[in-house]
Amino acid sequence: MKTRILSVAEVRDSFARQGYVCNDQIAMAVYLAAQLRKPVLVEGPPGVGKTELAKASAAFLEAPLIRLQCYEGLDEARALYEWKYGKQLLYTQLLREQFAGKLDGAGGLEEAMSRLGDLGDAFYSETFLEPRPLLQALRADESPVLLIDEVDKADQEFEAFLLELLSDYQISIPELGTVKARHEPLVFLTSNNSRELSDALKRRCLHLYIPYPDASLEQQIIAARVPEAPQALRKQLVDFVQKLRTLDLKKQPAISESIDWARALLLLHVESLEPALVDSTLNLLLKHEEDIRQVRDDLPSLLK
Amino acid sequence: MSEQVIGRFVKVLRGAELPVSPAETLDAVQVTALLGYQNREALKQGLSLVLAKNEHDKLAFDQCFDAFFRFDGMPPAASAAESEQPSPSMLDRLRDMMPGQQGGSGAGASSALGQQLLADDSARLSRQMAEAARNVGLDNIRVITQKGLYGRRIMQALGGEALDQEIIALDNSGRRKDQRLAAQLRSARDQLREAVREYVADQFVLQAREQGRQLREQMLREANLRTLAEFRDVRQQVEKMARRLARKHGRRQRRARRGQLDGRRTTVMALKHGGVPASLVWRRRRVQKPKLMVICDVSSSVSAAARFLLMFLYAVNDVVPSVRSFAFASRFGEVTSLFNSMRPGQAIDEVMDRYAGSGTDYGSMLRDFLNQCEAELDQRTTVIILGDARNNELPAEQHLLGHIGRRCRQVFWLNPEARSRWGSGDSVMPLYQPYCRDALPCSNLAGLERFVDRLLRDLTRG
Repeated sequence: MKTRILSVAEVRDSFARQGYVCNDQIAMAVYLAAQLRKPVLVEGPPGVGKTELAKASAAFLEAPLIRLQCYEGLDEARALYEWKYGKQLLYTQLLREQFAGKLDGAGGLEEAMSRLGDLGDAFYSETFLEPRPLLQALRADESPVLLIDEVDKADQEFEAFLLELLSDYQISIPELGTVKARHEPLVFLTSNNSRELSDALKRRCLHLYIPYPDASLEQQIIAARVPEAPQALRKQLVDFVQKLRTLDLKKQPAISESIDWARALLLLHVESLEPALVDSTLNLLLKHEEDIRQVRDDLPSLLK
Repeated sequence: MSEQVIGRFVKVLRGAELPVSPAETLDAVQVTALLGYQNREALKQGLSLVLAKNEHDKLAFDQCFDAFFRFDGMPPAASAAESEQPSPSMLDRLRDMMPGQQGGSGAGASSALGQQLLADDSARLSRQMAEAARNVGLDNIRVITQKGLYGRRIMQALGGEALDQEIIALDNSGRRKDQRLAAQLRSARDQLREAVREYVADQFVLQAREQGRQLREQMLREANLRTLAEFRDVRQQVEKMARRLARKHGRRQRRARRGQLDGRRTTVMALKHGGVPASLVWRRRRVQKPKLMVICDVSSSVSAAARFLLMFLYAVNDVVPSVRSFAFASRFGEVTSLFNSMRPGQAIDEVMDRYAGSGTDYGSMLRDFLNQCEAELDQRTTVIILGDARNNELPAEQHLLGHIGRRCRQVFWLNPEARSRWGSGDSVMPLYQPYCRDALPCSNLAGLERFVDRLLRDLTRG
């Protein structure tokens, strides 16, 4: 992993080279996170590139990306580590004779117990440990980028469980003791704000809010992602999408959707936006029937 | 040195209701150390990342930052060492007040301040002004009438007195040249005074307005409920308190799915695998939905308390979804349906209109309640009674309350009167008290909040 980041501008330029166009605020967050060794909590509407940010950072820092997708009911066993129960079971069955041999000649119950006790540790050792993303991140050979995606989907308890990791880059496992990170990871947490995250979690993180981009930034993004699209079309398209975002829609079109749309228009060899064409490709931008209907009615005025 | 600046800035942020913790303050100090004060925009972005942790707070942060770092944006102490400049607006303001002075011509004046005024050293002057402001404790300004006082103190700290004396001396000297100098100094002094006044006004807006709001909230929390209804923003205050409680207890309700290991069922499951407990079975906790029944005395003497209790309980609706409410004064009735069809505020007004009266009879209220609801009382039900227990010399019938208490999980009694008055005159509170899990006085919002907090903790523990 790259250890020295010189300036905010370096982050921004490197991101731009990868096709991730961002404003100074985002670059500043990555810069500070790397400098202060603090996790970043990224919030914002869906599709503004929260997950992309972590990927771009991993590429920029030349670090491996480890991703943990959160969902309701996620627990330590799936986030941190698990014992390979099946393997343990199989080994006990296969090694049955060995056990019998080991116990042969044991003087009494106590001696047999103590012999078994020595064995017990063998079954709770590295061989049978299944590391999940968080443990992987702590034991990685070089400092990784850890992405904890959609942390708001996980339960409250899981959030509390993360606190130790976020503040000290270590985790306590009953059977193994405290595992400290070999190399401190750069942690990104993303949230769609489906619920309010706890203050304790927020306190430990830098907080980055990514809003929908303004028109000029969005044009740059589209230019970076769909370079084949002519400038005039790009401008028209971005203006239209920006207007859509001011409407009262169930789900507003995100950046990822305007990129998809730009790609589609390119495939159709479109030079400029025509009402009929917009009408027929509207479902790329809007994902709810009501929204499409509402926009379709206003189409002439929106395209003006 | 930057710690002091950040410390003051954090104070302003806290005043604007941003919950900035000490740990975050330390982060902010690190950020400033890293970024320096040269680039204002970068500093703003950097501090925003560590100090404002949601969308709403970010907006408030931006406002506070712009206001706070406008004048002594570049902290005086830090900039003394380096070549940093105060924010341009202030420089301009100070430069404007140098009437046609070229640098170096300040030799004429003898007082320190006079020399600076004439020497066009506006950057240094603005730094000194900020420093003087800190020395005289401008952070502590509370009310608008203190503006003049603090302005005078800052002028004094800057060395205004020596300048005044010099001006007088020059005026009296009788020499044309000296008098011209005196006129120049006087006009420069007046403009400096104006700049100080503006600075104090800015700081007042930042500091005192926020402190004023905090004081007001404190006052609302502690004012007697009976006088409280007259205040304008009391409803927002209640909602704010309720939101906080709902957030706090809403979390607790989402408890761990996993409970303890269920030994019996694990053994049964293990039979499949030849006695090896390959899959573990966990005991699941049943989440019990609590039921709440609230009986409010709405006679004129205590109706204010009833109003705020109902407001509270319906505002924490997310946590306690099932609330049934009853009102009584001269007659008794259920008012739940009003709350289902109207917003809580409206519903409460409606309740007061319909049921308000006098001549409360607690005995018959208890009887009516039992007649109507006895069958629905069970071990999940909490009954809350709010009233002053002034029974107009009628029979108290406390055994009915005992009966209710046995049928349901618990009975709480809230009394708007102070504990010392319970039992005085026609109050029968001591007769009811033994049958309640707890009887509490609640004469202000703080008391109500405490009660609701405790109630929710109890209910969500399950």
